[in-house]
Amino acid sequence: MRPNFFHHLHPPSIPAAQSRWCYTLGAGGIALFLMFVLGLTGILEVFYYIPTPENAALSVQTISYLVPFGGLIRNLHFWSAQLLLLVSAVHLVRVVFTGSYAPPRRFNYLLGLALFVLAILLDFTGYILRWDQGIQWALVVGTNLLKTLPIIGDTMYTLLMGGTNPGAASLIRFYAWHLFGLSLIAVIFVGWHAFRVRRDGGIALPPPSLRANNLRISRFVLVRREVLAMLFTGAALILISAFLPAPIAAPIKDMTAPAADASAPWFFLWVQQMLKWGDPFLWGIAVPLIILLVLSLIPYILPQPIESELGRWFPKSNRLAQIILGAIALIVIILTLIALITNV
Amino acid sequence: MNYKLLLLASLILFLSLITAWWITSRVPTPVTLTPSLSGQEEYCITCHADLPEISSSHAVKTFGCVTCHGGERLALDKDLAHSTMRGGKNPSDLTVVEQSCGGENCHSGSALEMQDHYQRVQTSIQSTYAGAIANIRYTFGAQPDLTARQGTYAVKDDVISTDTGLPSLEAFTPASDQNPAIQLFANNCLECHINAKPREGISNNRFTGCSACHSPAPLNSSKNSKDFGGTTQGSQVHTLTTAIPYTQCNTCHNRGNYDLRQMTFIERNNKPADRLHKYYQPIAEFTRCEYTLDCLDCHTRIEAMGDGDIHSNKKEIQYIRCKTCHGTPTELPLTKTLTDPNDIAIRQAFLNPVVDLKVGDTVLVTEQGEPLWNTRALPNGAFQMVGKSSKQVFNFNPVLGSACTQTGTDQSSAYCHKCHSVKR
Repeated sequence: MRPNFFHHLHPPSIPAAQSRWCYTLGAGGIALFLMFVLGLTGILEVFYYIPTPENAALSVQTISYLVPFGGLIRNLHFWSAQLLLLVSAVHLVRVVFTGSYAPPRRFNYLLGLALFVLAILLDFTGYILRWDQGIQWALVVGTNLLKTLPIIGDTMYTLLMGGTNPGAASLIRFYAWHLFGLSLIAVIFVGWHAFRVRRDGGIALPPPSLRANNLRISRFVLVRREVLAMLFTGAALILISAFLPAPIAAPIKDMTAPAADASAPWFFLWVQQMLKWGDPFLWGIAVPLIILLVLSLIPYILPQPIESELGRWFPKSNRLAQIILGAIALIVIILTLIALITNV
Repeated sequence: MNYKLLLLASLILFLSLITAWWITSRVPTPVTLTPSLSGQEEYCITCHADLPEISSSHAVKTFGCVTCHGGERLALDKDLAHSTMRGGKNPSDLTVVEQSCGGENCHSGSALEMQDHYQRVQTSIQSTYAGAIANIRYTFGAQPDLTARQGTYAVKDDVISTDTGLPSLEAFTPASDQNPAIQLFANNCLECHINAKPREGISNNRFTGCSACHSPAPLNSSKNSKDFGGTTQGSQVHTLTTAIPYTQCNTCHNRGNYDLRQMTFIERNNKPADRLHKYYQPIAEFTRCEYTLDCLDCHTRIEAMGDGDIHSNKKEIQYIRCKTCHGTPTELPLTKTLTDPNDIAIRQAFLNPVVDLKVGDTVLVTEQGEPLWNTRALPNGAFQMVGKSSKQVFNFNPVLGSACTQTGTDQSSAYCHKCHSVKR
């Protein structure tokens, strides 16, 4: 068989032991597929979405109820985005728990982390684009956090919102960030990330002398596996989207009125929970940024995974990094659960 | 093997696509209505196609649904569509009525044209309950006289047009009154105003606000039909009318007696079949018209909805007497010959066309000049009244020229009842 275009995007062969599902979890590939679905469904939504405060929520209703299959497309976009955050998180955890960020992959780890942050920001801006009563609280409270930044707070707020209050200027900025700013950077970074995987020698694995076996699988097998993952993910997405509609609410009537739903989107619930402890700058901005800093420093300051331990789960050499990431993940999950329970 | 798995996965994807298509196809196709007033399309009738038009004056083609009810006009999800509805099933509840029924071109229009229904109902004693509150507070020493100071809600009146009109009322705050009787009154007796949630039971079935009167329950309302106002019994009605039968008045009035010692309301438990015994207290006396006509055949819109002033007692607003229609032995009842095609009487007759009122017709008027639009002077000197709800025609003669010897100054009903009450 002659390899086609898609086969040629892959190396001719990759090591069998490190291409198993139970090692990669397929997370990176599924994330890429989800981004593809997001792009496609997002483009379709752009044809109907109207980015003005008066019409945004109404056009979302139009997409959901009037446009043929519009509801399904919107649900697919929504669920792909939520799934992307989960899958990206799993990908990050996999990389740290297998020590795969060891040099020369340190920079690609940073690229991946940047993509994770971009995914969160894209999710948040997309959530804001609903411009309905369901997002009102997060919009007002979330953006007000910027004002707590010392010295540059007000400037940052005005830069993001295009004024002193959430309004038409803010919506169009969120729209522009969502469609162009963030998405464009994300697409470039994804290409870069994938390129670096190849340039850094493919998937991390121990030196040839230490490998248990030297079996390799061909690009044909790899592509088949990827197609399989896409088919299953696609089926799951479609089923979820068919039965669970994306959140929607009535248009915002008065931005200054207390919102009916005073909760952050689920991926920021842990921040919302911390905000209840007091100082908004400390808990709403400083702590999340410190966590991000810690994550990005993992490949640089913590004990490095040694080469002989690569290509398997839980190497001893970077145990500290695993513990730190595990603790962060656990705290985020617990805070999210507490917020979920107490917000009800 | 891998290929078999691929085939299986493809099959699963295909099946999920079919499922999604099936689920999507179950969503109803939106039925669009673009009412001429708003010009904005709404999908409400996708589900509510079977609702009867509420009234010919509020044609659905003109008003649509959202103009009055609010709600999310483009949502086909029940919860979202209904989430922003005003007043739930009843947009005329007084808490939301201004947005629903108000507006310069609607029911908070000009007072001269009598289109200020919203302002009049807000200040009306039927809404403020100021009379009862003032009486109780006076009786138990919370205020020095019977002039009303508090209502069921705070209300102001900038234009006072009668001697008894008050500039404002505060909201009744029973918590600030120490007297236990007033506390009991607050707990037990605040069910008797237009915006009060009605008491339990089918006899009390009514909505609140405008619909308390203008959306009368069907006479044969059954117990097991859908929600009606605040109770769970009675029939669902989607109607607005000025042809209001006595039965609707009876959802509040004639329901029993107060016990002022216990500060409770004792619901009557007798259920007489005929109308004479059905409505009135056992000791009261009646003339035939009082149990034959509907309440609103005599009582006017100003009596029912107020004159725009805040009053202390219903006596200040209730002025229809026997002589309004019948006159006295020395005087004919007051009449007015209609000259303006836009006269309020002709407009009211247009709304509820039980009479074909025209310019040139002569109708009875009250001492305040309010026309009794469902009456007419006949060429032979007699008068005619048509029941607003019953459509029954009643011809009657003026007292002048009859054998009646009652003096013109003694015209309260007790005097008339002496000769004209029926045996019960």
